[in-house]
Amino acid sequence: MSGARDTADVPAKAPSAVDEFWQGVRDELPLMFGVIPFGLVFGVIGIESGLTIVQTILMSSILFGGASQVVFAQLWAAGVPAPIVGSSVCVINIRHVLYSASIASYLKHLSLGWRFLLGYLLTDEAYAVSIRRFTNGYPGKFQHFHLLGSGSLLWASWQASTIAGVVVGETIPESWSLTFAIPLTFIAIIAPIMRTRAELAAAVSAGSLAIIGQPLPWNSWLIIAALGGIATGWLVHRHDNAKRRNQ
Amino acid sequence: MIWLIMVATGIFTFGTRFIMLNRVAERELPPWLVEALNFVPIAVLTAIIVPAVLIDPVSQSFSILDNQRLFAALIAVTVALITRQVITTIGAGLTTLWILEWLV
Repeated sequence: MSGARDTADVPAKAPSAVDEFWQGVRDELPLMFGVIPFGLVFGVIGIESGLTIVQTILMSSILFGGASQVVFAQLWAAGVPAPIVGSSVCVINIRHVLYSASIASYLKHLSLGWRFLLGYLLTDEAYAVSIRRFTNGYPGKFQHFHLLGSGSLLWASWQASTIAGVVVGETIPESWSLTFAIPLTFIAIIAPIMRTRAELAAAVSAGSLAIIGQPLPWNSWLIIAALGGIATGWLVHRHDNAKRRNQ
Repeated sequence: MIWLIMVATGIFTFGTRFIMLNRVAERELPPWLVEALNFVPIAVLTAIIVPAVLIDPVSQSFSILDNQRLFAALIAVTVALITRQVITTIGAGLTTLWILEWLV
């Protein structure tokens, strides 16, 4: 994509709704390498945690958030009281407010039906590819079809891989230690994004609190460790920023 | 009960995705909140990883030395940093664990 000819072509041929949709699907494709195994793992874990087939499969469309679904299944299997399961899931998913806020200026003009649909499809992975399109791409009037494309592919592959995982999970012996795939999946997500001192501090304090807090009632260690990690990361971030400004 | 919690958390999760797309939420999020929310994935996921690695699922005892899962997790961190792929990370971690369990 270079040269004056491409640039000159832009106004003449703005992408249509169909173009944008398929562009969204294509941009989302490489992320399938992470999403499909994760969906499989969730399907297996749902069954191994004692959820029914219907509960496991429907959770993927009702909650539609990988990490939170795994935590839900894990805590439910451990016999944690329902309010704690619920609030743990909510803490994990609250980050979506950030995506919603950051993408809002591109979607606010749409009808309520569109905003409902695109809001539902606004996952980590769909947000990641479509915000890049919105900020760098054509500011066309069919832009939102890009998010429809990326979100639809993600949704369909998440449902399909969950179902596949449920089918496979029924036949996998427990001796394979497949539940260890949960921490491994999360390691794959956070190890590459850990950059700053503040992020490291957040991880260290969340990890330590999670161990120290084990004897606490109702498995409340998860919420306490999460909130402690967030607070520590934020304080270190503030401190580092203030120091940088003073230099 | 499980359905009630599932539907309630589902509605909450949808709400977190939908809320800012509304004209009602015209105001921008305060900067301190945006900064804090950035730490949510790292804090939550680490809080799940560390006990899952350091506490034995069967005996519920805490161990650092003589812990096969810790060794497998360290291999997984290395592979994650190099390949940045979920599938290779899971593969490397599980294979390491299986080999260690088979050897010991």
